[in-house]
Amino acid sequence: MLDIKFGEQGQIVVSGRFDASQAERAEEFLSKVTESREMDLGGLQYISSLGLGVLLATQKRLMGTGHALKLTNVRGHIREIFHFSGFEQVFEIDPNPPA
Amino acid sequence: MDSRTRRSFPRTASCLPEIFAFMDAFFDEARVGDSCRNTAQLAVEELFTNLVKYSRGGKSDIRIDLARDGGRLIVSLTDFDVEPFDIRTVPDAKTDLSLAERKPGGLGIHLVKRLVDHIDYEYADRNSTTTFIKNLE
Repeated sequence: MLDIKFGEQGQIVVSGRFDASQAERAEEFLSKVTESREMDLGGLQYISSLGLGVLLATQKRLMGTGHALKLTNVRGHIREIFHFSGFEQVFEIDPNPPA
Repeated sequence: MDSRTRRSFPRTASCLPEIFAFMDAFFDEARVGDSCRNTAQLAVEELFTNLVKYSRGGKSDIRIDLARDGGRLIVSLTDFDVEPFDIRTVPDAKTDLSLAERKPGGLGIHLVKRLVDHIDYEYADRNSTTTFIKNLE
């Protein structure tokens, strides 16, 4: 199950499994984001192409108004998927692994 | 340790949680580690949803076979009475484009081809089987 919410500092906190069955719920939450935010992915265990598509679509919409998501606390397995998906070209990704 | 199992699932994306539970139970029994589990589940999700989305004439359930052969995890998805579709012939997604040029979709098969160690394809009697191998770490 995916958990997506706003953290105490206004960051977006994502944890759990971002698979095809969760994409619609995540899309609905992210549609409320209208300005630049950090997205803390420290608890994200799994993401598939539909989840990646939701992140890309959100970034595209935000960049249209001069805003952007910054991805933080990205774990090794998720970082590998981001790399193969070319996410370094379209997102600022914090190079530090989760503590 | 060598072990194997198989099960068929209705051709709908809503049974993904059931597929993941089936795979987790096998991984526990076959002692497959977390990193390999994530890769295998991602590959199965992408292949299964592709079969559901594009159908290619299929009406039957889709069969998933899981096997551990020594240090290798071998996973097959078989779609019955369908047109052929070999994922190895699918062009790579263009991941070096700017955000403005990128379009949603196309990443699934691209990721499968990069994350697994080997892909085979068989088509016989209108049955289409994609098999991937992931070496266990």
